[in-house]
Amino acid sequence: MKKVLGGNDAVSQAVSVCDVEVISAYPITPQTSIIEKIADLIYAKQMNAQFIKVESEHSAMAACIGASIAGSRTFTATSSQGLLLMHEVLHWASGARLPIVLANANRAIAPGWNIWAEATDSLSQRDTGWIQFYAANSQEVFDFIIMSFAVAERSLFPAMVCLDGFLLTHTKEPVEILDHDAVKPLLPKSNRDTLDPKNPKAYGALAFPKDYYAIKKQQHLDMLKVFDIFDNVALEFKKISNRDYRAVDVYPTHISDYSIVALGTLSQTARLAVDNLRKEGIDVNLVKINMFRPFPVKQLKELLSDKKLIVVFDRDISHGKGGIVKDEIAGGLDLCNVVGFVGGLGGDTITESDIVSCFLDAKNGQIKGLFL
Amino acid sequence: MKHIGLHGRGGQGVVVAGEILAQCYFDSGKYVQFMPSYGAERRGSPSHSYIRVDDSEIYQRYPIESEDIAVIFSLSIIDTAKLKENGILIANSANLKVKEKKVEIYIVDANAIALSLNLGSPAIPIINTTILGAYCKVTNDFSFDTLASAIKSKIDKKADLNIQGAKLAYDSVRCL
Repeated sequence: MKKVLGGNDAVSQAVSVCDVEVISAYPITPQTSIIEKIADLIYAKQMNAQFIKVESEHSAMAACIGASIAGSRTFTATSSQGLLLMHEVLHWASGARLPIVLANANRAIAPGWNIWAEATDSLSQRDTGWIQFYAANSQEVFDFIIMSFAVAERSLFPAMVCLDGFLLTHTKEPVEILDHDAVKPLLPKSNRDTLDPKNPKAYGALAFPKDYYAIKKQQHLDMLKVFDIFDNVALEFKKISNRDYRAVDVYPTHISDYSIVALGTLSQTARLAVDNLRKEGIDVNLVKINMFRPFPVKQLKELLSDKKLIVVFDRDISHGKGGIVKDEIAGGLDLCNVVGFVGGLGGDTITESDIVSCFLDAKNGQIKGLFL
Repeated sequence: MKHIGLHGRGGQGVVVAGEILAQCYFDSGKYVQFMPSYGAERRGSPSHSYIRVDDSEIYQRYPIESEDIAVIFSLSIIDTAKLKENGILIANSANLKVKEKKVEIYIVDANAIALSLNLGSPAIPIINTTILGAYCKVTNDFSFDTLASAIKSKIDKKADLNIQGAKLAYDSVRCL
């Protein structure tokens, strides 16, 4: 069934069909309507879950950690300053291998105080050991949330679904939704090792260097297994939805002289830029990153290693370096023909003609600077 | 692609009007994208809704730059509309007077209709559903029944009165 939903509506709708048992969250614009809707659904007994109210995002994640250790399927949502306040416990959740799912409404970081779209908040959490998905439209938001629970529980890593503030959270468009029965086969009750009062154990004990090192090494090696786990989940998801997902998408063809790379809603506008450039006879495609952690090096290498030039667009910034996605592409793939532009910070407008003119500057070797 | 802007003040129901309008186009088989403007939301401050309508999927992810149709909830912020030349303007007004017309102008006294049905308060009548009745008549993009069922699906309280308001506006909107 198709409904007109905003990104936030899509999150709460998806959470409501996933048998989530515990939600703990603290309100923050532009995320708040996610947890408001979930609270309404619980109150109306349309969701059989417990909502734990807390005084901060740090406590929200701490409550999710406790609930997840006890074996519950657990969800939270946050944004910007809230995600940053969670930072310490984000590491805890991944280190303890807890399959918590988090929706992050990408919002700029203060100062200046700004509630609009920017991905620096979640991209700056890329080293916390969380799986990260970036959605480009409300359909992807709905689908990524459902797939995140499956990928998280099979890999024992927490997963974050990121959606651009307002441009996605509050922008309504048609979404094909799945009901509880359709999703159920994808999400069997997990038999992971959980807290059992009959068999008491200690969690988070002191780990001496050799043990700690072994744990962290294993965590990394297991994270690399997420690629195969995601592919399997995507295959199963296709059976129930007829929608096909990969860690990296390419449009309209993988064979091209040039590539434009983007993630989130920026990739939607970039798709129009690719159409316009192709009409002018320029052989360029769009490479859209859906999964940013683990970083799909192999898939990106296959798509990007033979290009004359790769132009990356970032709605985020690492001050003193530049666009974070551009940096990951150039460094992660060991490529030197990568050019990056930063734009749209704090929700500023980026149109397809902005992308076209930056791309042409780069192609013609006439880059005016980092910023759009 | 059709671009629509709804412009009013916080409390008049501009955002809900946008949602209802998007639902009407969706129910008529179109692709829609509805974007409310957000800032420091409070009663009385300018509030806008933007809608893109097309026959195929919509990829633009940025605010609308110019409007084919502008719906003005309050004449005090008419300047915020970005109406194209030869566009359509639908305004909440009892007796708007213009010296020179560069666009098609339609007016409907949505305040009076909403107040006659006790929608909102005399200070801020809630005219969102009422003015959509005028929109439906002027554009003929969807049937009144489509509008009525979209209103029912989005308005919990006083849905019937809202539909009645829309019908009164549908019947009384006039071209300047």
